[in-house]
Amino acid sequence: MNSYETVIGLEVHTQLKTESKIFCSCPTTFDSPPNTNICPVCCGYPGVLPVFNQKALELAIRVSLALNCQINPNVYFERKNYFYPDLPKNFQISQYKMPLGHSGYLKLASGKTIRINRVHLEEDAGKLIHREDCSLIDFNRTGTPLLEIVSEPEINSPEEAFDYLRYLKLTLIYIQASDCDMERGSLRCDANISLRKKGDKILGTKVELKNMNTFKGVKAALEHEVRRQAKVLQSSGTISQETRLWDAGSSKTVVMRTKEQAHDYRYFPEPDLLDVAVPGAIICSEKTKIKELPLEKEERFKKNYGIVDKELEVFISNVWLADFLEEALKFYHQSRELVNWVLGPFLEQVNLLKLDPPQVKISAESFAKIVKYFSEGKMNNLAAKKILSLTIATNDDIDEVIRKEKLIQVSDENGLIAFVDEAIKENPKAISEYLEGKHQAIQFLVGQVMRKSKGKANPKVARDMLEKNIKEAGR
Amino acid sequence: MLDVINLSGAEIAEKISSKALTKEETASFFKKRIEQFDQLLNCFVDVFEEYPKSCGDSPLSGVPIAIKDNICIKGKPATCSSKILSGHKAVYDATVITRLKQAGLLILARTNMDEFAFGSSTETSCYGPTRNPWDRSRVAGGSSGGSAAAVAARLVPFALGSDTGGSIRQPSSLCGVVGFKPTYGRVSRYGLIAFGSSLDQIGPITLNFEDCAYLLNIICGSDPKDCTSLITENIDYAKSLHQECKGLTIGLPKEYFGQGLDSQVKDSLEEVRSLFQRKGVSFKDISLPHTEYAVATYYIIGSSEASSNLQRFDGIRYGLRSGCSDLKELYFKSRQAGLGDEAKRRIFLGTYSLSSGYYDAYYLKALKVRRLINDDFQKAFKEVDAILTPTAPTAAFKLGEKIQDPLSMYLSDIYTISANLAGLPAVSFPCGFTKEDLPIGAQLIAKSCDESTLIKLGSLYQDNTDFHKKMPPLEKYIKNG
Repeated sequence: MNSYETVIGLEVHTQLKTESKIFCSCPTTFDSPPNTNICPVCCGYPGVLPVFNQKALELAIRVSLALNCQINPNVYFERKNYFYPDLPKNFQISQYKMPLGHSGYLKLASGKTIRINRVHLEEDAGKLIHREDCSLIDFNRTGTPLLEIVSEPEINSPEEAFDYLRYLKLTLIYIQASDCDMERGSLRCDANISLRKKGDKILGTKVELKNMNTFKGVKAALEHEVRRQAKVLQSSGTISQETRLWDAGSSKTVVMRTKEQAHDYRYFPEPDLLDVAVPGAIICSEKTKIKELPLEKEERFKKNYGIVDKELEVFISNVWLADFLEEALKFYHQSRELVNWVLGPFLEQVNLLKLDPPQVKISAESFAKIVKYFSEGKMNNLAAKKILSLTIATNDDIDEVIRKEKLIQVSDENGLIAFVDEAIKENPKAISEYLEGKHQAIQFLVGQVMRKSKGKANPKVARDMLEKNIKEAGR
Repeated sequence: MLDVINLSGAEIAEKISSKALTKEETASFFKKRIEQFDQLLNCFVDVFEEYPKSCGDSPLSGVPIAIKDNICIKGKPATCSSKILSGHKAVYDATVITRLKQAGLLILARTNMDEFAFGSSTETSCYGPTRNPWDRSRVAGGSSGGSAAAVAARLVPFALGSDTGGSIRQPSSLCGVVGFKPTYGRVSRYGLIAFGSSLDQIGPITLNFEDCAYLLNIICGSDPKDCTSLITENIDYAKSLHQECKGLTIGLPKEYFGQGLDSQVKDSLEEVRSLFQRKGVSFKDISLPHTEYAVATYYIIGSSEASSNLQRFDGIRYGLRSGCSDLKELYFKSRQAGLGDEAKRRIFLGTYSLSSGYYDAYYLKALKVRRLINDDFQKAFKEVDAILTPTAPTAAFKLGEKIQDPLSMYLSDIYTISANLAGLPAVSFPCGFTKEDLPIGAQLIAKSCDESTLIKLGSLYQDNTDFHKKMPPLEKYIKNG
């Protein structure tokens, strides 16, 4: 198997985040009841004509630019003809000869660059729902603007394919061109894969893989296909050019159609749409909408904050969280503590309260203040977490809440002495254990003080007092 | 009751506005005529019991109009005279229908046509052929044969047709009425069930150029729903009526007067020329050298676009669906049963022309020739203001005469096709009669967006002739039984 080189090309379809469809004014919302976001135009009724949504062009240009593509100055559409029930006109308005973007590339963290062959605009098809006795069609998705992004065949392993997909997805999310939600179908991926003897210049016969619903699925399907093709080649067999479907259930690929059954799409220029000259002004304004890209952010977070590995992955794949961290850093400069608090208590609360980002109302400034108060010993861990839980969805004034909840930490011995005495008096067993050398018993006693002080006690001060008092009593 | 039959649409509107007539009286007058005579002609596929609501005012308010069966009227069937659209009702108004309603016209009926506008005789209609009111044994022309024959027979004051390769002008010529194809993009195609998207254009069929100008005023104009519609300022075509034409130059392309042209048609055209000359119009012999390739070019481009446009008729969402056991069978059986022979022929032709391996030799080549034909006209219009040609090589031919021979049928459009390929405005108007008393039509073609010159010339011609006032002898059929 090691004597073969794997060659993979990926074909990614991504829905663009426009409010309305690409050739009519129907909304693109995902959750609507079946066949409610439809009109005669997207349902291909007799006599209708498409009208091109400029917004889709803008987003498509933004993607092309983010992928370092050349932009064709003249955009025109073609019809891709084939019969299928989810395609109401039985042709798809797409681009063939002159894609909007071409000759681009995407850089991976490994340093490798994968060239992008083309980026083209087209309309999405509807959704078929198969029942036992019938098939139903939901046309809500029909006409959603779709971008096809085709890589050159220069990805050399399933892992690298996974990496490419991850960075591509992040890029699309960063530039706010697509939601890239595979579960909702706003990102889909087909793969072409072939094997060749190491050192060979000519590509082997490629197999197209479809029906992978997750990135992990893509990787698994490719891994399976590498093994299958290697086995065929090792036994001197030949790979036949075909399209295979990934069956996640059985973790196998099965033949869908052979080369002979391939469609002749009879592409020709869409006569109902005019050529669009891409104005230079749109290219310029879309350029300004591309801020930091994922790899750049990775570099910066590593360099500036020393964030690496798993932690880095969390921030890179969650722009909102990364932005929140950076905003908080403006108010409190201890990045390590902030990172710990963002990834720890903050995310804990978000998950616990099941908050969506817009529901998180606490300002980064308030959050920074909580962490700062904790670090300065003004609040203990418990109190700080409580304040966070009280303000995360409200952004009430932190100091006000602390006052109201009486959560300022008590570090003054006079304020704690009564609790410490009580704890010692009530727990003779723990005392004797401690005195016998079981040092962890002190932790229990600190807990008692915390409880009695309703969490306000500075645990460190309480511990010191307990240790001192027990030692004195034991003498 | 007034003698409505001899009134033009504009005159009827005047009578309605001066209360000499009511809208209802007018409608029932024409309905009675339809009841009486349409059994002889088969112009209509549907005469409405309930008229689509219209409001608004125009010089044609209250006047009934008939609409070709490929233009969508909300709530009414729209079948393109094809079985595959049986049962289908339009769910929206075509832009032209919206405009007619806003101009207060009364939408009276749908007219017969060649299936999906594939034909030059209205014989491919699933509702049976329309007959020529001048001679029932002859065709009305096509594909807007129902509209042209209905207007000629005074069953409706005027009608809308559509013209992809001559489908307004050729039947108008064969029936003796005025048929106008505007510049491509002048009239919105939204709601016109597409045949050849880059060629189709809606236009009026009227008795005279007054009504033609008034209807153009209503239906022309840019439409955000059709991005191929031209963005231009509105023009009042009525201003071109009854004007002098001194100083204009008309070109006579030699390619349009050669072999295949009936001598009687040729003679009539000669008379058209002398009339214009007497009115101070000069003539010039010109050449449009790529004319001989127009028919082939047209049938490749038109059929290619049609093969794709007609794919949506699959039995899944609307129209005819045949019983089936799986998807493939659903497609095959529905289209097999729903589409007629000519539709299938064009689909084959178009599919073949677009297939990989043949695309360059057929479709792409045709696009190149189309450009050359366009260039011919551009060049000609540097020297002339309009071009005069016959509309059709002969007067109306017999029913059944050409239906078994597609190639000879295709040649009926030999003089009209080039205007579609070049997107130019063109009009056919009656200019005489044959010995058999069949109407002869002349065609004028102008440069892009210059409809006004055509109205000017046509109106001048009709101010000095009576061909357009002559009535077909329908009563004779009634008397003879």
